[in-house]
Amino acid sequence: MDHASRLERILRGIAIAAMVLFFMFPIFWILLMSFQTNETILRNPPSMAFAPTLSNYAALLTGRLDTAAGTLDIDFMQNLKNSVILSVFSVAVALLLGVPAAYAFARHKFRGSEDIAFTLLSFRFAPPLLVVLPLALYFQDIGLADTYIGLIWVYQLICLPLILWIVRGYFEDISPDVEYAYRIAGHSWFATFRRIALPLAGPGIAAAGLLAFIFAWNNFVFALVLGSADKQPVTVGALAFVTASGIQYGQIAAAVVLSIAPTLALAIYAQRYLVEGLSLGAVKG
Amino acid sequence: MFEKEKDLVDAFVRGQVSRRGLLRGLAALGVTAATADLLINRATTQALAQDFDWQRHSGTGVKLLLNKHPYTDAMIANLETFTSLTGMEVAYDVFPEDVYFDKVTAALASRSSEYDAFMTGAYMTWTYGPAGWCNDLAEWIGDPEKTAPGYAWEDMLPGLRASTAWSGRPGDPLGGEGAKQWCIPWGFELNNLSYNRVMFDQAGVTPPQNMGELVEAAAKLNRDVEGAYGIGVRGSRSWATIHPGFLSAYANFGQKDLSVSEDGKLSAAMNTPESKDFHAQWVKMIQDSGPTNWSTYTWYQVGTDLGAGASAMIYDADILGFFMNGGDNAQAGNLGYAPFAANPAADAPTPNVWVWSLAMSAFSRNPDAAWYFLQWASGVEHALFGAREQDFVNPVRQSVWSDEAFRARMDKSYPGYVQQYEASAPGAQIYFTPQPLFFDLTTEWAATLQEMVADQVSVDEGLDRLAESVDGQLADAGLG
Repeated sequence: MDHASRLERILRGIAIAAMVLFFMFPIFWILLMSFQTNETILRNPPSMAFAPTLSNYAALLTGRLDTAAGTLDIDFMQNLKNSVILSVFSVAVALLLGVPAAYAFARHKFRGSEDIAFTLLSFRFAPPLLVVLPLALYFQDIGLADTYIGLIWVYQLICLPLILWIVRGYFEDISPDVEYAYRIAGHSWFATFRRIALPLAGPGIAAAGLLAFIFAWNNFVFALVLGSADKQPVTVGALAFVTASGIQYGQIAAAVVLSIAPTLALAIYAQRYLVEGLSLGAVKG
Repeated sequence: MFEKEKDLVDAFVRGQVSRRGLLRGLAALGVTAATADLLINRATTQALAQDFDWQRHSGTGVKLLLNKHPYTDAMIANLETFTSLTGMEVAYDVFPEDVYFDKVTAALASRSSEYDAFMTGAYMTWTYGPAGWCNDLAEWIGDPEKTAPGYAWEDMLPGLRASTAWSGRPGDPLGGEGAKQWCIPWGFELNNLSYNRVMFDQAGVTPPQNMGELVEAAAKLNRDVEGAYGIGVRGSRSWATIHPGFLSAYANFGQKDLSVSEDGKLSAAMNTPESKDFHAQWVKMIQDSGPTNWSTYTWYQVGTDLGAGASAMIYDADILGFFMNGGDNAQAGNLGYAPFAANPAADAPTPNVWVWSLAMSAFSRNPDAAWYFLQWASGVEHALFGAREQDFVNPVRQSVWSDEAFRARMDKSYPGYVQQYEASAPGAQIYFTPQPLFFDLTTEWAATLQEMVADQVSVDEGLDRLAESVDGQLADAGLG
């Protein structure tokens, strides 16, 4: 039995290593590319032996890339800043509006509550271009076109339904008896929400917030249609390295590394909540 | 500027000193060639202001929507000249090419007045023009009150002027009767061979002269050159697979995409016996000597492979070969250029062209000011600056192709480039039939080509099926 168990462990280890290699290799390869010039990246056959360079990162940070063909102006740090502004504020607004709304939908059954909840969810089903073109017309009229506020508002189409529906599930999982007991002790509805419901649903809210952040970070079309060049996020900005006169693979790789860094850092930081939060939802029943 | 240099440049602008004499004189005064070109550009621009009121819109501004491209870089590098000439401010948004046309379409479809002018391709104006999204620029070009006498519209290459003008009636010839000038040609590319001279020497191959030779040369290079395949052409499921080398060679056999009847009805024309013969050769060439994953190939893969030495030649835009011969490409300096007439019976090449152009938004709040920018950006002086100093190639004006400084620059670093252009220029134009289903039909054509190369369908059957489908779509749209 011991022998079989050891074999099982070894096989499991190999399987896990193979899976990790399979999923991590593209990211590892991109990391390697980010320290190479275009010439070494395009060698045939590809090789892992190269003289590392920080020129790609330097070009992104300084905003200027000097090549033999000339100087290329890069706005990538502005794109990164835009992504941070749009994602952070969109998630913050969505949490501010979505968490109390989710609590209301979970705890208070009122006329039309399901209809309203489904209407909000339907925002997720709408093809973005169908929504965004008419919005562009209205935004021009009311002066919200090409503003961060306008974009953060539109980003609620991504973040708000996600947070509302995920967090609603967590609130529903918490026994209402705990809250009733607290209310009987003479506390207000808001104090119950703040002191009891919110802390208990904390991991779920963190998980929903993180997912909403990732969705917002990866969005492409809203800023493209509604914003000018100086409001574009990294998803649009990274494409600037693909030009008619050639593809700057090294800068693309460095840009990918820089653009996944904030999400990765946030995910690692919130990993405990994320696992707890997601598994809490998984055992619902 | 010092007086001596100023006098010399002024004398040049007045036509009293030749360009060569001017450069020699400035060199003697210690001025570098690059600085000399800048001085000439500024002085010429100042001279422009003498016969036209360039300051009429001073204090106003225009906003441009631009694609990230060397043409854009050249324009931005020279923008100060425009500002000092007109007193106008220019703001611009530059978007990557991958998303550029989505941005343009969204801006125009939402009737946004944010942008006064934008970059476009001629094909796109077949949608934008009839939809009323861009203005007919003939109105401005022909108005001496609004257009400087030195603008020299006739200096624009005739094939390009025609290629950017259309009546809006499906099937009407480009540049024909009642055509509206939806955009102004700015820079263009024609499709010919760009090849790796070292690999050609190594395999003992000379630039092929017709389709049969091309298929053979590609196969020989594929066999004899280690680590490189014979020929790079585009293959993705997109209209962009049809328009470069493929359509250029196809048109050389006198073949068309669509036929136009006397009553203006359109019908598919790609299943003729001659077309089938050509398709069979093209398919065989890709199967024998093309890239392994040809069906994913776009402009970028075709160019990157040539620049990196993974392909021996490409049949694509000449400026793609131009770009790959510089920068940090492994094969920079090794590339040559050759005109190509696919049909052995043809007198000259018939390259289809892509024309980067400038258009005016119909929603611009200040169209006259926008026109001031457009005429400066497409004028002779900026074209000369871009061609001599930047990668504003290919120029759309005959006077720039005749400019000795530009030709010297090209001859020095891009051997054979000017010659391939001159051999091809008379036949360079858009060979598609203008009609609103252009993108849908050409994308389906590319998909059929993919099936033929993958041996999923024979050439005969594939083209008959394609023609039937095209006829059905034209009929459904009321065009057939």
